Amino acid sequence: MIEVVDLEVSYGRSRKPVLRNVNAVFDCKSLVLGPNGSGKTTLFRALCGLTSIRRGRILIDGLDVERIYAKTGLIMVNFPEVLSLLPVKIHDLISLYADLTGGDKAFAYRVLADLGVGEEILRSRRLHELSAGQLKAVCTAIALSAHAKHVLLDEPFEQLDPARKSRLIRYLADYDGIIILNTHETWLVRSLEDWRAFFMFEGVLYGPVLVKELLEARFSLREEANPIMRMMISGRAVSLVKDGGRMPLLSLESLDRVYELALEGERGDEILHAQP
Amino acid sequence: MTRYFTLSLKTVLTRPELIFWAIIFVEFWVLMWAYVFGVHIPAHEEAVKDYVSTAYGGLTILSLSATATTIAYALIYSSKSIKFVTKYTRLSPSRFMVENAVSSITVLLIVSAIMFASMIIVFWHRFGLLVLPHNPPGLFAATLLSAVFLYALSSFLSLLIVVLRAPRSASFIAFVPLMLGFLAYASPWIDFRIIAYISPFNCISSLFYHYYSGKQPVTGGIFMPGDKELMDTMLTASSLTTWTITLLILDIILLRRMRGVGIEEIRIV
Repeated sequence: MIEVVDLEVSYGRSRKPVLRNVNAVFDCKSLVLGPNGSGKTTLFRALCGLTSIRRGRILIDGLDVERIYAKTGLIMVNFPEVLSLLPVKIHDLISLYADLTGGDKAFAYRVLADLGVGEEILRSRRLHELSAGQLKAVCTAIALSAHAKHVLLDEPFEQLDPARKSRLIRYLADYDGIIILNTHETWLVRSLEDWRAFFMFEGVLYGPVLVKELLEARFSLREEANPIMRMMISGRAVSLVKDGGRMPLLSLESLDRVYELALEGERGDEILHAQP
Repeated sequence: MTRYFTLSLKTVLTRPELIFWAIIFVEFWVLMWAYVFGVHIPAHEEAVKDYVSTAYGGLTILSLSATATTIAYALIYSSKSIKFVTKYTRLSPSRFMVENAVSSITVLLIVSAIMFASMIIVFWHRFGLLVLPHNPPGLFAATLLSAVFLYALSSFLSLLIVVLRAPRSASFIAFVPLMLGFLAYASPWIDFRIIAYISPFNCISSLFYHYYSGKQPVTGGIFMPGDKELMDTMLTASSLTTWTITLLILDIILLRRMRGVGIEEIRIV
């Protein structure tokens, strides 16, 4: 279980926080949905203790993340930068991380074969020589193959085609552990009904709600009564409601659209209500 | 040892910049010392041994400092992932330091061995004399101490870049060992006087000369006319040891301070 208490994160000497007052408990498979630049990746970096925390604390299985060292199998991520310990061929990188984490090399190869990354690529290329889609696939496969208790997946579906996305979903659904996955894409909601979802806008985390509640949910750029969730985007109240809203969550390709409309202010509301 | 040790060793040894700057480039100068600069050296055993010892001291420090620059680069490359792997894999911070140190020191020893073997062969071909070191255990001990020093310096420089959050300085700072190595290489032509004791690179070069030739090294300018000041070998070894211990202590301090640096503030070269 990962527990986040009153977390605030800012980069460098900047006073403006990237994450604000984040409180959450991740004790089952969860989605973190939010537009690009909302702070999802920063949240993941903070969850594994890779970024400096200005305020608050993060506990992983009751241990303060700042004080964790050499806890094999506790957490794994798919960030390319943390999987770049050595500039070796992917084949060697898989065996290196399998050795360091006690992971399963064969599992990583199986996932990669399903995601269309063949043996030849694994033997001949280094991480920085891969295409964006191959890079995501390799990092996600290494992260899953560690069989860690908690796996943080940062935009694992980015640059994957629909067939490969659905194959990856199978692995995520079958995974025996806590996966926390962040994405700006909403189509996932249909495939991961029994997960929980958080929303992240402008460094603030909202939720959780059950993913199945989101299937019929709609966004409204007004303050609605009895919402599933109420969020603030650019100083404007945005409600996620079961009935009455104008923008079905599943009709959006990306949550970037909600953000764009909220930034439009009153005009965003007009655009939304002008839609059939 | 984990797989990190073997892969790290293989990666550093096969880096093109190491192969070129630490081996091929220095081998070119070995040939120059043998066939161009050495034309006026009389084929007299004592003179040849003195000349080969001077070449060994100067060229090996050049090769080792190029290796140290490669090691510093490799550490800067790993800096983003070090924080993660030391937290969530069996490579704990102390284990990482040990494995990284052992693999880097092994690389430095391998490069020294290549320089040693090539110089014996090239100078034997040039002068028809097999010039072997006067004190092989002493030379090995000096090489080992130099390797530990150069590793401590490389890790100090790469940790400094991380802790000071100065990624833009990475290219410059990683080259510090090579620049200092070139300064020490100039010692046959320049008398460094007291600096010969202060500069660890000059100390390394002098110790190599001492154990290879069996003679007291000088503070510099051996190829230049005039009186030469002999160096105290014990003082030279003590200076290098002090530098090594100081840098190792600084490494530990910096490693602790590195914990407060977020990975987004670290650059991968």
